[in-house]
Amino acid sequence: MIQLQSIHKTFHPETLNEVRALRGIDLQIRRGEFVTIIGTNGSGKSTLLNVLAGTVRPDSGKIVIGGKDVTRQQEHQRARTIARVFQNPFLGTAPDMTIAENLLIASLRGKRRHLRIGLSSARKNRFREQISRLEMQLEDRLDHLIGTLSGGQRQAVSLLMAVLNKPDVLLLDEHTAALDPKSAAQVLALTRSFIESENLTAFMVTHSMSQALDLGDRTLMMHKGEMIDDISAEEKKRLTVDDLLDKFADLRKAEKLTDEMLEQLRREYR
Amino acid sequence: MELWLGAINLGFLYAFMAMGVFITFRIHDFPDITVDGSFVTGAAMTAVGIVSGVNPWLALSLSFLAAAAAGAATALIHTRFAVNGLLAGILVMTALYSINLHIMGRSNIPLLSEPGLIAWAKNLNPGLPSEIWLCLLFGAAIAVFWFLIALFFRTDFGISMRATGNNPAMAAASGIPVNAMKIFGVALANGLVGVSGSLVTQYQGFADIGMGVGSIVFGLAAVIIGETLLPAKSIWIQALSVIAGSIVFRLMVALALYVGLNPIDLKLMTALFVLLILIAPKWIARRRQTSAALSGLSLTPSGYKKARLVGALIVCALAAATAVVFFRPAFFAGKPTIRVGIVQLSDHAVLNMTRNGFLEEMADRGYQNGENVIFYIEDAGGDMATVNSILDKFLQKKVDLIVTISTGCTQAAINKIKETPIVFATVANPFIIGAGQSDTDHLPNVTGVYGAIPMDRMMELTGALLPGKIKIGCIWDPAQVNAVFNVRQLQAQIKKHPDIRFVGATVTGSAEVQQAAQALVHKGIDAFVLVTDNIVFSALDSIIKVADIAKIPVILSDIERLSDGALAACGYDYRQSGVQAAHLADRILKGENPADIPFERYKKLTIAVNPDVAARLGIALSAKLLAQATLAGGHPQKDGPSKRLAVFVFSDNYALELSTQGILDELRRSGVLKKHRITVDVKNAQNDYATAQAIIQDIVRQQYDYIITASSLALQVTANGNKTIPHIFGTVTDPYRMGVAKTARDHLPNLTGVATFQPVESAVSAMRALFPKAKRVGLIWNPAEANSEACTLKAREAAKKFNFELVEKTVGRTDEVKDALAALLNSGIDLFFTSGDNTVILASATLAQILMEHNIPYFTNDPADIERGAFFSVGADYHSVGVETAKMAIRVIHGESPKDIPIREYVPETIGVSVKLADRYGVKIPDAYLAKAAVIRR
Ligand SMILES: Nc1ncnc2c1ncn2[C@@H]1O[C@H](COP(=O)(O)OP(=O)(O)OP(=O)(O)O)[C@@H](O)[C@H]1O
Ligand SMILES: [Mg+2]
Repeated sequence: MIQLQSIHKTFHPETLNEVRALRGIDLQIRRGEFVTIIGTNGSGKSTLLNVLAGTVRPDSGKIVIGGKDVTRQQEHQRARTIARVFQNPFLGTAPDMTIAENLLIASLRGKRRHLRIGLSSARKNRFREQISRLEMQLEDRLDHLIGTLSGGQRQAVSLLMAVLNKPDVLLLDEHTAALDPKSAAQVLALTRSFIESENLTAFMVTHSMSQALDLGDRTLMMHKGEMIDDISAEEKKRLTVDDLLDKFADLRKAEKLTDEMLEQLRREYR
Repeated sequence: MELWLGAINLGFLYAFMAMGVFITFRIHDFPDITVDGSFVTGAAMTAVGIVSGVNPWLALSLSFLAAAAAGAATALIHTRFAVNGLLAGILVMTALYSINLHIMGRSNIPLLSEPGLIAWAKNLNPGLPSEIWLCLLFGAAIAVFWFLIALFFRTDFGISMRATGNNPAMAAASGIPVNAMKIFGVALANGLVGVSGSLVTQYQGFADIGMGVGSIVFGLAAVIIGETLLPAKSIWIQALSVIAGSIVFRLMVALALYVGLNPIDLKLMTALFVLLILIAPKWIARRRQTSAALSGLSLTPSGYKKARLVGALIVCALAAATAVVFFRPAFFAGKPTIRVGIVQLSDHAVLNMTRNGFLEEMADRGYQNGENVIFYIEDAGGDMATVNSILDKFLQKKVDLIVTISTGCTQAAINKIKETPIVFATVANPFIIGAGQSDTDHLPNVTGVYGAIPMDRMMELTGALLPGKIKIGCIWDPAQVNAVFNVRQLQAQIKKHPDIRFVGATVTGSAEVQQAAQALVHKGIDAFVLVTDNIVFSALDSIIKVADIAKIPVILSDIERLSDGALAACGYDYRQSGVQAAHLADRILKGENPADIPFERYKKLTIAVNPDVAARLGIALSAKLLAQATLAGGHPQKDGPSKRLAVFVFSDNYALELSTQGILDELRRSGVLKKHRITVDVKNAQNDYATAQAIIQDIVRQQYDYIITASSLALQVTANGNKTIPHIFGTVTDPYRMGVAKTARDHLPNLTGVATFQPVESAVSAMRALFPKAKRVGLIWNPAEANSEACTLKAREAAKKFNFELVEKTVGRTDEVKDALAALLNSGIDLFFTSGDNTVILASATLAQILMEHNIPYFTNDPADIERGAFFSVGADYHSVGVETAKMAIRVIHGESPKDIPIREYVPETIGVSVKLADRYGVKIPDAYLAKAAVIRR
C-alpha cells in the first residue's frame, strides 16, 4: 500500500541550523496495517508524517501510495487519499465556522467543490447521525461555532472529520497528547474503534510506550532520522513495556544506541 | 435631502468595495492593499470603455476582470514567491499606478455627456426625483448582490474558501488547494473593488488617476462599523453588515459636512471614529475584567458580549443622530399635507426664472418644502408627452394645486385636468389656448399670470438708445395673427413719436427673413425693432448677422433672445411672473376658488441692454437708461431675497490660493455682493474626491444661487453634480479636456468660465530669444497631473516651433525628481524647463541649485519660482485669473445666462527674471522683458 524509498530530508541545509531530520527511510506498509511510531524528541516522526502527507517535500527518495508515485504531488492533491489529525486540537478545525461547516469540508475531502448549497438538510441529517458516533451530545450543536468546543471535543470532531470520507491512509500525530487524561482515553477509544471498524491503514505517533504496544499491528522506532527498530504484531503480543526497554538495551549493545539515549528513552517512556 | 440620498447612494456603490475588503481581510485574513490601485483600474476600464463606445455592461465586466487580474497578481506574488502579503499588495498597487495611466492614456477622463449605466438607469426613471430613483435602483441591485454573495459563501465552494482563510493547515489537509483558493479569493475581492470603481466613476461622471487613494481605509472602516452594528450571527448577517457599514460610514461623512465640520478635519474624525469603535468594546471588557478579578470572578462571555453591545450602541447613536437630521421634517412637523406640482416645459433660463421666483415667494409666504408642503418640481425636457406623464404623476400624488410654466404646459394641463386648481405663469396669451374669454370669465379651475409686449415702452427704449431722427425696420409674417396685432400696436405707438419712421417687410417663412433684413438695410434703416413673431424669431440669427455687418442695432421684445447679439430688449420680468403666480397659489391654497380669481397681467417690466454690443456699435448708454436696465436680460436686482454664492476649491496650493483671493477681492470690490445681498462661502475639498462629492451635494441641497469653482477637479465634480445652479469656473487649464465644453460657445448650459493655459509658448519663445544657440531642453513632468500633461503637449509643440529638442523625463513623486534631473544632465541638456507641474514644483529649490551648479538656465511658468532660484519665468498671474473669473460671475449675477457667455481664454502673463543668473550665464535680458517683469531678482 505505502512504499517509502530512501527518504532524505534536511532542514536549513548548509547553515548553522542544519537539521538532518530524515536520513534514508525505507518502509513498506500493507493495506489495513495499523502502525504506531515511537522515538525521542526530534527524531523525525512528525517530519515523516509530513512527508507522507505532502506538507514537507523530501530532498530525495520516492513515495508510492496505492501503487502511484506521489512524490511530486502537493498536499491538497494527496488529501484525496490521506487524512490526518494534528497534535494541536486547534489545527484540525476552522474555529470560526460551525461544526456542520467543518464536517462539510471534511466530507468534501478529495472531491470537487461545486457552487452547490453546502448544508442541505439531507447533508445535515447525515452529519447529525455521524456525530452521534462520538457520543458527546453534539447532535444539537451542529450550528455552533467549533471554537466554542473543548479541546477534547474538538479533537474528537477532528478525528471524525478525518474518517468521515473514508481515507486510504490515516495519519495521527500525537493527537491525544494535548488532552487531559479522560479526554485522551475517550479519543483513543474512538480512534481504535474507527480504525478497526473501517479497517484503515493508519500511522499513529505516540509517546506512550503502553499505547504503542496496545494498539496497532506494528511498532516502528525512530531515532535521529533513522528507523532503528520494527516490531511485528506477534512480537508485540509477547512484549511488555519493560521488555521494550530491555530491547533498547539490546540495541545499545548492538551500538545503535548510546547510553544517554537509553537514559532519555527510559525517562520518557516511564 | 440630496446630501443624505447622495450619501446612501455612494454607500451602495462603495459597498462592493467594502465587500471586497471583507473578503480579503476577514475571509482570507489577507491584508490586501491592492485595493487602492484596483479601484482606479475598475474606474479606468469603464471610462475608457464607455468613451470608446463599448456597451456599459461590457465595460463593467471588463472593469471586474481587470481589477480581478490585479488582485490575482498580488496573491500570486504572495503565494508563489512567498513575499509578505502586505508587501505584495504594495508592489502591485504601485505598479497599477502606471498601468492605470496607460489604460486611461491620461490622468483624467470625463464622462459627462457619455452614456453609462447611471444614465441608462436615469432613463428608466418613471418620474421620481433622480436621486431617489437611483437610491431605489441601487438598493435593489445591492439586495440582489447581497443575496448572491451570501449564497455563494454558503456553497461547497464558498464554505471551502472561508475555511481556507480561517485555518489554512486544515484546509490543505482537507484537499483544498489553499494557494489557488487564495488567488481566487483575492481576485474576486479586487474584482468587486473594480466594480465599485466603475460605478463610482459613472456616478461622479469622471475617472481620475488619484481617486483610489484611501480606499483601503474606507473599506476597513465600513467592515468594522458593520461588524459593530450587526454582530455576525450567520454569513447572511455578516454580508449585510458590510453593506450597512458602507452606508453608515457615508452617512457619517455627510453628517460631518452637514453640521459644518471643516473638511480638513474629516479624515482625522474618520480615523478617531474607527479607533473608538475598535477600542471601546475592548476597553470596557478590560474594565469588567479588572472589577471581576477584584471580586474574584472571571470574565464571562456575556461580559464581552455586553462590551460589544456598547460598540453597537455608539454606532446606533451616531446613526440615529443622522436619521433624526435626515427625517427631521417628518419627525417634528408631522406629514406634510399640502402638495403642489410644478411643471415647466424645458430647462430654459426664462422658465427657470419664473420657477425660482415662484418657489422663493412661496418660501417667503411660509411654504417650506418638506415641512408643510411638498413641491413636485418637474421639467418635461421640451417634450409634450412628458408633460402629460408629469401631469399624471401629479394626479396620482393627489396634488392640491398645479402650477404650469409656459404656454405648452398650460395648454396640456387645462385640457387634461378639470378639477385640480391650475395656476399658470409665463404665458403670453391664455385666451388663444382656450383658458378663458376674459380676465374674469375663464375655466373654473384655472387662473394665472400673463402678459404681452408693452409697445409704448418699447418705443421709449428705442428713442432713448437712438435719439434724433431715425428710421426703424420691422419684419413680420402676416399669417401670424399675434404678430400682425403686435405690429399694429407698434405702428400706433410710432405715430406718437414724430422723429421715428417705420419701414416694414413681410415674409412668408423663415427662409425669407435674411433677404427681408437685407432689403431693409438697403432702405437705410437705423435699427431693427422686432416684435414677437415665432417665424421671424426662429431666424433671428440671420437678422443679427445682417445687422452686424451693417453696424446697426437690433431691439427686441424678447429679453431671452437679447444675448443672441441684440442691443436691447424690453419685456416682462419672468421672475416676477413666478412671484405673482405664487400670490395666486397662496390665495387658492388658503381656500379661494380659482373661478373667482381673475387672470393677472404681469406687473413688472424689464428693460435690458447688452453693454458689449453697445460698445461695439458706439452707442452711449445714458445713466438713466442703465439705472432702469438689467445689464443683459435677467431679473430685477432690487428687493430680491438674499442669495448665496459658493466658492469651491479642490485643494490648497499656491495658485489656487491666489486665484481664490482674486475671486473674493473682485467680488468685494465690485460691490455686487452688497447690491444683491449675496453671502459667500468658500469650500475646500482638501484634495479628497469623496469629500468633493459630498461638498457639491451639499451645495445643491442648500440650493446655492451661484457656484464659482477654482481648479479643474472642482470644475469636473461640480459639472457632474450640479446641472442647474449657474456655475463659473476658473483656474482651469483646459475645460475642453474636462468634457464640459466642445468649443468656447458650445458648453454645458449652466456653466461658463475662464480657461488659463500656462503660457508655455511664451516661455519657449523667451528661451529662443535669450539663448539663440541652445538645442536641447530638459523637461520633467508627472503624467498623473492633467494640467501638467496639457502643458507638456504644448511644450512639445512650442519646442518644434522654436526649433528645440525636448528631452522628457516623467516622475510619479517629488522624491524622484532629483534622479530624473540627474538623468537629464547626464544625457546633456542646454536649458531646463518645468511647467505647471505640482509634483516638480515642490522640488524647484533643489532643482534650481543643481541646475545653477551645472550652469543650465532654469525656465518655468511661475514667476514665484524666481525666488526659489529659477532663472526666467513667464507665468499666469493667478490673482488676475481669479479677478477675471469673478468678473464673469458678476455678469451672471447681473442676470446673464451662463449658456450665453462663451468660455474665455485668459492668460495674464507676468514675467520673473533673475538678473544675477543672467550675468552668470552671460546673457543680456532685453529691456522689453525687464519692463514687463513682475519679479526681478538682483
Ligand atoms: N519546518 C521545519 N523547519 C526546520 N526544522 C524543522 C522543521 N520541522 C522539523 N524540523 C526539525 O527537524 C527535526 C525533526 O523534527 P520532528 O518534528 O519531525 O521530530 P519529532 O520526532 O516529531 O519530535 P517530537 O517528538 O518532539 O514531536 C527537529 O530537530 C526539528 O527541529
Ligand atoms: Mg512531532
